[in-house]
Amino acid sequence: MMGELLFLIPMLPLCGALIIMFAGGRMSRKLLAAVASFSVIASALTILWLWPLAAPQTRVSLFDWFEAGALRVPVEILFSPLSAAMALMVTGVSALIHLYAASYLHNDPDVRRFFALFNLFVFAMLIIVLADNLLLLFLGWEGVGFCSYALIGYWYRNPGFAAAGRKAFLVTRAADVLFVIALLWLFRLTGSLSIATINQQATSLPAGTLTIVALLLLAGACGKSAQLPFSSWLPDAMAGPTPVSALIHAATMVTAGVYLLCRLFPLISLSPTALAVIGLVGTATAFYGASCALVQRDIKRLLAYSTISQVGYMFLAVGAGTVTGAMFHLITHAFFKALLFMVAGAVIHLAAGEQDLFRLGQLQKRAPLLFWLLLAGALALAGMPLTAGVFSKDAILVACFALNSPWWTGLGVVGLITAFLTALYALRLVYLLAADRDVTIGHGPVPRGMIWPLLPLGLLALVGGQLNLPEVWGGGTALQRWLQTPSGGVGTHAVEWGLAIVTLLLFVAAWLGVRYRFRAVPMPPGGGVAAFFTDGWKIDALVRNAVSKPYEATGRLLDGFPERWYTAVLPDWLGRLCQSAGRYFRTFTSGYVTHYLSGMAWGTFLLLAILLIGLLR
Amino acid sequence: MIVPLGHVLLFAGLLFVAGLAAVLLRRNLIMILIGVEIMLNAVGLVLVGASAYWRHPSGQLFALLLMAVAAAEISIALALVVYLKRSRGTIDVNRFDGMKG
Amino acid sequence: MATLLFYILAAIVLMAVLLCLTRNNPVHAVLYLVHALFGLALLYFLLGAPMLAAWQVILYAGAIMVLFLFVIMLIDPDLFEKKASRGRFRWLPVGFLSGALLACGGVLIMMDPLAAGGIVRYRLSPRAFGRALFDEYGLAVEILSLILLFAAVGAFHLGRRHKGKEDAS
Repeated sequence: MMGELLFLIPMLPLCGALIIMFAGGRMSRKLLAAVASFSVIASALTILWLWPLAAPQTRVSLFDWFEAGALRVPVEILFSPLSAAMALMVTGVSALIHLYAASYLHNDPDVRRFFALFNLFVFAMLIIVLADNLLLLFLGWEGVGFCSYALIGYWYRNPGFAAAGRKAFLVTRAADVLFVIALLWLFRLTGSLSIATINQQATSLPAGTLTIVALLLLAGACGKSAQLPFSSWLPDAMAGPTPVSALIHAATMVTAGVYLLCRLFPLISLSPTALAVIGLVGTATAFYGASCALVQRDIKRLLAYSTISQVGYMFLAVGAGTVTGAMFHLITHAFFKALLFMVAGAVIHLAAGEQDLFRLGQLQKRAPLLFWLLLAGALALAGMPLTAGVFSKDAILVACFALNSPWWTGLGVVGLITAFLTALYALRLVYLLAADRDVTIGHGPVPRGMIWPLLPLGLLALVGGQLNLPEVWGGGTALQRWLQTPSGGVGTHAVEWGLAIVTLLLFVAAWLGVRYRFRAVPMPPGGGVAAFFTDGWKIDALVRNAVSKPYEATGRLLDGFPERWYTAVLPDWLGRLCQSAGRYFRTFTSGYVTHYLSGMAWGTFLLLAILLIGLLR
Repeated sequence: MIVPLGHVLLFAGLLFVAGLAAVLLRRNLIMILIGVEIMLNAVGLVLVGASAYWRHPSGQLFALLLMAVAAAEISIALALVVYLKRSRGTIDVNRFDGMKG
Repeated sequence: MATLLFYILAAIVLMAVLLCLTRNNPVHAVLYLVHALFGLALLYFLLGAPMLAAWQVILYAGAIMVLFLFVIMLIDPDLFEKKASRGRFRWLPVGFLSGALLACGGVLIMMDPLAAGGIVRYRLSPRAFGRALFDEYGLAVEILSLILLFAAVGAFHLGRRHKGKEDAS
């Protein structure tokens, strides 16, 4: 009986969205924000209330969405430790961001659309998290894609912003095609789309097929999570309002890919090749994102590249076989990245819309509390020992080294280098924002409503590591015991200590380096190399040259001969044929009644003659 | 026996064909209508003959219905004749070719 | 006796029809047609349909033919058909067609075993006629009444003088 109440979790945000859509016209701005925030908070409270149901796991089916042949798609919720933890993180962070957004958009004229889409997004995200059926999950998957598109282009009157939304939509759609192929294939192989069934039957599938399906799923996940081949949409997605960036493009939606791989881990783990590729993609993306973040001038793009990089770590974790590590990093990352984005939003507000890091500064003087919050987030990102980020990141690297193979050791080393780069750009961000220089002065102080939702996140960024404190540190690995998911190889304590010391050394080195470089008032980077990294390794240009230009050339080619032939010449001939035939047949209709009547009479004669011949034979 | 059914049918056929020939040959609209009337009556004769042959009233009833329909048809047709005469000044069917393609 | 009567009447009707259809003056044609219809009424009577024969005389030979005469009188008599100007042998294809139709129909009739069966004396009394009509064909009567109504409305509409539209086209 309690089980049915689980549907409240996604339905509350949906109701919020519907109320705002249909009845929001007469609501005041405050009421809109209240409805939107309350629906998400209520959803979070529902999760806490029903938390005991997750302990073994609860599966509730509401009704059959549709049924066709062997395909049966129930609207079914699986409330397991994994999905419960993810759902709690999603609703918790969303609730804080909703409260933040209420202040952030306090004078936007179109706030009703914003909150409707925001609530709708939370609904779709919760469907992804809670669905047990892959098709239902796909519904949420596309739902978040749509909301992301609509919210990136929220200020659609700016053509650049609208184009960014379209780009995000198209790039993720390209990856979704591969995901759909994987879905269909899995249905063909197992006769079911239920994740539980697929995971059960995965062992009986041939190894080669399994690898291909796992790689297709990886491609789908890469699209949503902005991993390497599909990463270029995320930096552009920063065109949306900052709460959108915080919620969708940092904390929740971009981690959906990781979450999908975690849910399907029993299937994926059967293919070592797929795991190796996942690890490679993750590491490469992590390094790529960090190297690009190092030279960004736009504060939000910097955070976007940082997000790409951090999600890469999560992929590495899945590849190394530690689902717990991936989820741990996912959760801590949600805390500190949402925090950083919202601080960035406040900073931008403070500087009247200025996003260039080299024109911002004096944060410590102008808004001390904001500065400390920024410091908390940045340190967690940079990997200062004892903050949340360092434990989750170390857990992933430990899992890599524990596998004892040259491949994974190599990836782990790259991961360490990336950690160093991460510390560099995170501290650079702090130094640039604190730099003492002339800055644009904006609308005055940051509203209180934008500050206090950050406080719990700041706290969590610092102490969130307690969630899954390794035994070496005397912790209880609470998350691991709750999730009961695979946690990869177990490293010796020596490895863990060694890694802790190495990360500490890297952090200190990065700090000293940044301190040396940015203590004086810094100048913006210049030169071709910097431009290469700023543009994200010119990946957009690469796509343009490799995909768009050949496509356009093919189009032009087809426009020449076949297009003209099939749409102009051939139809022209056909038309002329019909015309002349019509002109000929026209002479049959003389307009005289007598002619028509004699036609009828001849017809009668014909019928009679046929009848007669038939009888005579 | 009065007469074989075949003779009634043949006679009706003769009337029908005579009416048809008039319809096809004549150019005066009124004569065409008269031809149509004769064709209709030929059919009526068949119905009555069949009614007698099967010793069943349905044939005669159908002949009555036929008469009523013919009356309706002819009233419209004659109204058309008057209308055409008024608007076109002629009732020669060879002068009407408004449906020419 | 009845057999002889049938053939005599048939000959009269056929003659009247042929005369009617070859007249140049529509008034004459209508008068011959009245003869033919009257003959047909007698044939109906002979074939056991006294009620129908009465209707044939009243409705056809009476009402409809009078309508024809009215219309003929309404329109200009000098528009009566002149000799066909074009095609002396215009009747040739029609003649062939008529002959062929008759031949086909005749052979078909003669081949049918039913046609050899004779019609014996049969009489449907007006009472039985009326009973059958309103019992079995009540709905048809209703529909027919509607058709007649439409015909009346249509004829009325066509007969109205359309001011200004008289010379249209």
